[in-house]
Amino acid sequence: MVERFTSAPIELPAPDRPFQRADLLFYGLDHSGPSYEGQVFFDTRGVGGEADQTHRAYVGSFFIFGHGGCFGDLGHCDIPAERDAFDLRPPHQLEPALRILTVTDAVRTLLDRGVAGAKVTVNARSADPRSTSVLAFDTVRLATYA
Amino acid sequence: MSPATSPAPTRAPQALRHRRSARRLTSGQLASFRAAMSAVQGINDDRGFQYWAGIHGLPLPISCTHHNELFLPWHRAYLYLFEKALQDREPGVTLPWWDWTDHSEGIPAIYARQRADNKRNPLFDSPIQPGGRERPSQKRTTRAPGPPGRLPTHAEVGAVLENRDFLTFQTQLESIHDGVHVWTGGTMQSIATAAYDPVFWAHHCMIDRLWYLWQLRHSTSGVPRRLLDRALAPFPMTVRDTLDVTGLGYDYAASTAAAKGPGHHG
Repeated sequence: MVERFTSAPIELPAPDRPFQRADLLFYGLDHSGPSYEGQVFFDTRGVGGEADQTHRAYVGSFFIFGHGGCFGDLGHCDIPAERDAFDLRPPHQLEPALRILTVTDAVRTLLDRGVAGAKVTVNARSADPRSTSVLAFDTVRLATYA
Repeated sequence: MSPATSPAPTRAPQALRHRRSARRLTSGQLASFRAAMSAVQGINDDRGFQYWAGIHGLPLPISCTHHNELFLPWHRAYLYLFEKALQDREPGVTLPWWDWTDHSEGIPAIYARQRADNKRNPLFDSPIQPGGRERPSQKRTTRAPGPPGRLPTHAEVGAVLENRDFLTFQTQLESIHDGVHVWTGGTMQSIATAAYDPVFWAHHCMIDRLWYLWQLRHSTSGVPRRLLDRALAPFPMTVRDTLDVTGLGYDYAASTAAAKGPGHHG
């Protein structure tokens, strides 16, 4: 878990590929801990940990309503590594989450500036006094839709 | 207009009840709602507030569904059954919705006042049963709301309602929903304890209303067929059962008026 993360550069669509909508998709988000706001910045040159919604690179926030920790015994919150094909029980509560942030205007602005690829930074803001290191996810993807 | 997966009933609904904005309740509607909440808060068995709040979070098992495909249907069933428990105390009462896109105030006034009519306001806070606490000292619900200007905007909600795909709509609406939990702070900030705060129900009523508005707008879209027969444990309902709110006996119309037709006699 971290407070802040910056991705490797993500390739933007070629200028000759028109699109109606662009989304940043955050896959595999952990939601086992405190609730938080993930403030997202695209093209993050100069974005530090103190950057907030007023920063020029801010493109929006996603939110995670967290479980706030484990209230069971040892292993209660461990997500099973494998699932039996005949297991009809609901999925484990801590199966990771997806968040989708629509960033159409931001991508168009970057393309207009001739940018070919941009990093994504997420600053996590949690009011929980127990921990501010609440951010964990697998992948961030930029998807555009014609 | 109704979603393709839940055709509109051809007969006028009997005794359909309307969920109203928390800011627009008449004094009589508010008195009934407060009476119902007080009554369920005074019951300590499985008809009471602690039981219903505990289904969402602590004590274990935590039954709510978040961050998965059943988020909206599960919470619609949850609100429906809790509203039934309220109606058992005060017939005709409905859950009000908190329109947090109206930034003129943060927490709606009827939930923000500590006292009402010279009594404790049952919408202000609630005890938390010992098994429902994250820590032993957490005996009552608390809030630490942010500035109203940081609540979701009409434009943000409008953009989410534009989604034609149900799962994308649901994922984006859930993020907005999560943000209101974070904004409210205190007990509402944790899945384990959120439903003990009376304003939780008004917040989720707004979320349910937005799903309803989405269903009206995208009448040919719907919940994926593979989800329709999924159970919404621990409730005796499936996803399919939640699709038509008029089938559940409620609607979100701001107001309605009706006149009798000629009937079917000769």
